[in-house]
Amino acid sequence: MADSKATNYSLADFHFNDSKDVLAAPADFEAWMAHPDVKQAFAFFFQQFLAAPKANTEILSGVDGKRRRIVNLTSYNYLGLATHPEVLQAVKDAVDQYGLSASGAPLVSGTTDLHVKFARMLAEFKQKEDCLLFSSGYGGNVGAIQGIMRKGDVVIMDEKGHKSLVDGVTLSGARLVTFAHNDMNDLEAKLEAHKGKRRLIVVEGVYSMDGDLVKLPEVAALSEKHGAPIFLDEAHSSLMFGAGGRGVGEHFGIEHKVGISYGTLSKSFGGVGGFICGNAGLLRYMRGYASAWNFSCAPSPAVVGGLIKALEIATRDSSLRDKLWANTKYFKDRLTTMGLNIGHSESQVIPIIVGNSGELLFKMAGEMQLAGLFLQPVDYPAVPAHARRYRISMSSQLTKEDLDMALNIIEDVVAKGLKKSGIDYMSIKP
Amino acid sequence: MTKQEIVDVIKKNIADNLDDIDVKDIDPTKSMKDYGANSLDIIEVVSCSMRDLDIRIPRSELADIGNIDQLADKFLENIGKK
Repeated sequence: MADSKATNYSLADFHFNDSKDVLAAPADFEAWMAHPDVKQAFAFFFQQFLAAPKANTEILSGVDGKRRRIVNLTSYNYLGLATHPEVLQAVKDAVDQYGLSASGAPLVSGTTDLHVKFARMLAEFKQKEDCLLFSSGYGGNVGAIQGIMRKGDVVIMDEKGHKSLVDGVTLSGARLVTFAHNDMNDLEAKLEAHKGKRRLIVVEGVYSMDGDLVKLPEVAALSEKHGAPIFLDEAHSSLMFGAGGRGVGEHFGIEHKVGISYGTLSKSFGGVGGFICGNAGLLRYMRGYASAWNFSCAPSPAVVGGLIKALEIATRDSSLRDKLWANTKYFKDRLTTMGLNIGHSESQVIPIIVGNSGELLFKMAGEMQLAGLFLQPVDYPAVPAHARRYRISMSSQLTKEDLDMALNIIEDVVAKGLKKSGIDYMSIKP
Repeated sequence: MTKQEIVDVIKKNIADNLDDIDVKDIDPTKSMKDYGANSLDIIEVVSCSMRDLDIRIPRSELADIGNIDQLADKFLENIGKK
């Protein structure tokens, strides 16, 4: 490990494996994982939930190995639909009628009338002609990009795009060109530089580690000017943004300018899977070429049954998202008053930026958890090394008492800890 | 190992990993981004170069490096320390 501390290394450093035995992990990776400081950091991963991912739940703590009641600010259960009683009843009904598994790929035998119904509902919801359902959110992006783009094509993606989007480009054989985050001058420069090629602009509605929004009107203007369509990943915005909950496209009033709209089914929807909505001709073609769709078992009909109900609940009125935004505003106002750096969050994803010290990040995360708050640390390489952070996933399920308890713990541990550390954390850019 | 030898290793890996770039056209005072490298390309070039030089430097310590020459300096500091 030369002169560097073990905690300066990360999973980004062990990609190449020089072991002669291809079935062995790299020798220095094993040594790194066995280091006490690294073990302490990894204790935060794979912690077991002993009950549903509600706002109040119980975990088996990785910090001290004990069962603990916690207020949960980490799960993606933004609207509480993963645990909504009507959704759970719909899952039970679907299990009784269809069983657990689709038991086949969609083309062959995995398509039920529930899958067809839900895909139609999503296409109508997103105001597109057709929809493809994927068994995983990751697979949805990989399959979509791989299904659309080819060698010789160019994907021009915001540098903060999700790993699933990047992997989709790699698999497609297209060239990946990134532009500086939300920088429209750089996007235009990259569009110009690859003029004459088939180009796709890939952006996210809400960026998952920062909580800021895509500058969609500006992206749409450049899309039109340069003839490069938009692929919009609404993983963290569907069911939450826009008057009808249709996402950031609706929020900006230009969803018709989005070529492909992608969403996950594991976040606000409360299930698991992914989907894309777009024009019928392209999706008909992609059914033959999007391998993550074509070569995966179709989503579990039990999950799809629950998701149909989740979509009905989230669109019959705005009560869940109204509560989410009220909670988000209350929480952000208090964090700002505490003098914490929450970056440029414009959504229910709220970072608390700590800085470059991994030790401090994990130390304070442990203290928060022992006090009853489950707020997971986000370390490099998931975020830049200079801007390690906690990432709050706000939920409509959180009561005022939950929020106040969480805020008190954050104030005691993080606000005071950071002030004591002497770090100039307010000047750190996300 | 000399710094020039390290620069040559980095240049070779840039040429291997990026389209339409010849080793002789690479100026070490420039960033890999100037040659059209995206973040994945940069990771690949840095990883391949460290592998060739038998060094390992945490990625988190390379974040502030601005050009190929500075990367070579950092590599030079770490030669023989793995």
